[in-house]
Amino acid sequence: MVKILGISPESYLMTIVLVSLFVNIVISIYGILARPSLIKKIIALTILSDSANVLAIYVGFRRAVWYPKPPVVTKLKPSPEDIVEFTKYAVDPLPQALVLTAIVIGLAVTLFLVFLTLQIYRLYGTTDVRRIAKLRG
Amino acid sequence: MSWKVHAVIIATVTTAIIVFSLLIASRGLMISIPLDTPRTLALWYLRTTYTPWNRNFSAMAPEGVTAIVWDYRGLDTVFETCVLYFAIIASVAIMRDIVIKPGSIQQRELGLSIIAKTATRLIVPLIVVTACAIALHGHLTPGGGFQGGATAAVVTLLILIVFSYIFTVERGITKNKMLVLRSVGLLGIGLVSLAALIVALIYNVPKVYILQNQPKPIAPIGLPYRIGPSLVSGTLIMFNIFETLAVVAGFTLLYLLLSYPEEEVRRYMVEEMRAGETHG
Amino acid sequence: MMTLIPLILMAIAALASVIATYLAIIEKDLIKAAIFSALQSTAYAALFYLLMAPDIVLTYIPVAVGIYPAVLVFLIKKTERYEG
Repeated sequence: MVKILGISPESYLMTIVLVSLFVNIVISIYGILARPSLIKKIIALTILSDSANVLAIYVGFRRAVWYPKPPVVTKLKPSPEDIVEFTKYAVDPLPQALVLTAIVIGLAVTLFLVFLTLQIYRLYGTTDVRRIAKLRG
Repeated sequence: MSWKVHAVIIATVTTAIIVFSLLIASRGLMISIPLDTPRTLALWYLRTTYTPWNRNFSAMAPEGVTAIVWDYRGLDTVFETCVLYFAIIASVAIMRDIVIKPGSIQQRELGLSIIAKTATRLIVPLIVVTACAIALHGHLTPGGGFQGGATAAVVTLLILIVFSYIFTVERGITKNKMLVLRSVGLLGIGLVSLAALIVALIYNVPKVYILQNQPKPIAPIGLPYRIGPSLVSGTLIMFNIFETLAVVAGFTLLYLLLSYPEEEVRRYMVEEMRAGETHG
Repeated sequence: MMTLIPLILMAIAALASVIATYLAIIEKDLIKAAIFSALQSTAYAALFYLLMAPDIVLTYIPVAVGIYPAVLVFLIKKTERYEG
């Protein structure tokens, strides 16, 4: 790898991705805590869970080869040498399976929150948490 | 806060990210997060996912991620489907008892314009075909049960928006039918996970595991991994089909619950509050 | 130079997602916030593809670009449109 001023460009570009993921997490946590509308809180919660999923896939990437391949065997009748060649280039498949489960569970929770918000609006007439906190019973 | 303030903040944040990552990369701090050498667990999954010469230690599916989701860690996926089911049951419980009488909404021209209706009629079969292709090839290429189900759930959303809620209910897509279809899909998943057990009881094999796909050294019974020339991968294809059915029915149920007309719901809630006052 | 093109595209997608997240949280009109959230999900889908996870892309595009904005627009139509 060529180094410019002591930094290789590959590691610099990968670090940009990592830092921007953390900035996304910070902005969405601010959005959950500081915005008064229930619907804005739901939007920020979906952004937070998506950023955590991208972080999990980023950890499973493979840095030392150009260019890594998805974990799918492409020959229909492989020999043992083909499998060894496959393991030299493939990405880690375990974080992808866990992120699939995480996406489905996040979807279930968000859909239930949407129904709860709709029922709150029908009963109390507002979706502003400051006005809901002032109601008594 | 005007546009200029927001543009300045965005430019500042972007430059700060670029400069800060320059500082971090020059000190070599985050160099170890995507590793240089692969992990031992990842190598084990990649080496045993499709090896036809060694039938006792393989999942016989060329797609690594689907093999992990339904074979190596199949119990996780069964419980994830249960979590989605509990969310659907909770949403049905919130909107219980609201009945829309079909004659109470005026029969004006329902839905969007004729251009939107013709375009939807043309595009719905294409989406259904794509979703079936994604779901049925889940063990060979990227895809699978949930991917195909989520793509096919877009079809009902389109029909609900472009034509109207009354049109959909009159054509037979009602809440109760979707609940039955969802339960049929989950029953299918439960039965397929016991399939190796049933086959072992017929052939009198002493030891077998639940959710077992291929023969193992201790439990030498499994399901066939190919039928004729095509690759089927045991239980994976049946899991994908039943999961697609369950996901489509579940999402259609949620859209139907979300699109009740608001005047009807308001009338129902007012009647219920009045009945509550006279009773208690 | 050819070896850097996927990594440059990854960095551009990540920076675009930061801009879209900031605009989505700041916006007071909730329909525009839902559209910015869909834009951010598109940037994340490009990032998933470049990180070589095609299974996740096939799940993420119908869920985050199709289902979430549609359900949010249903909800906004039935409740309030402007925040605050």
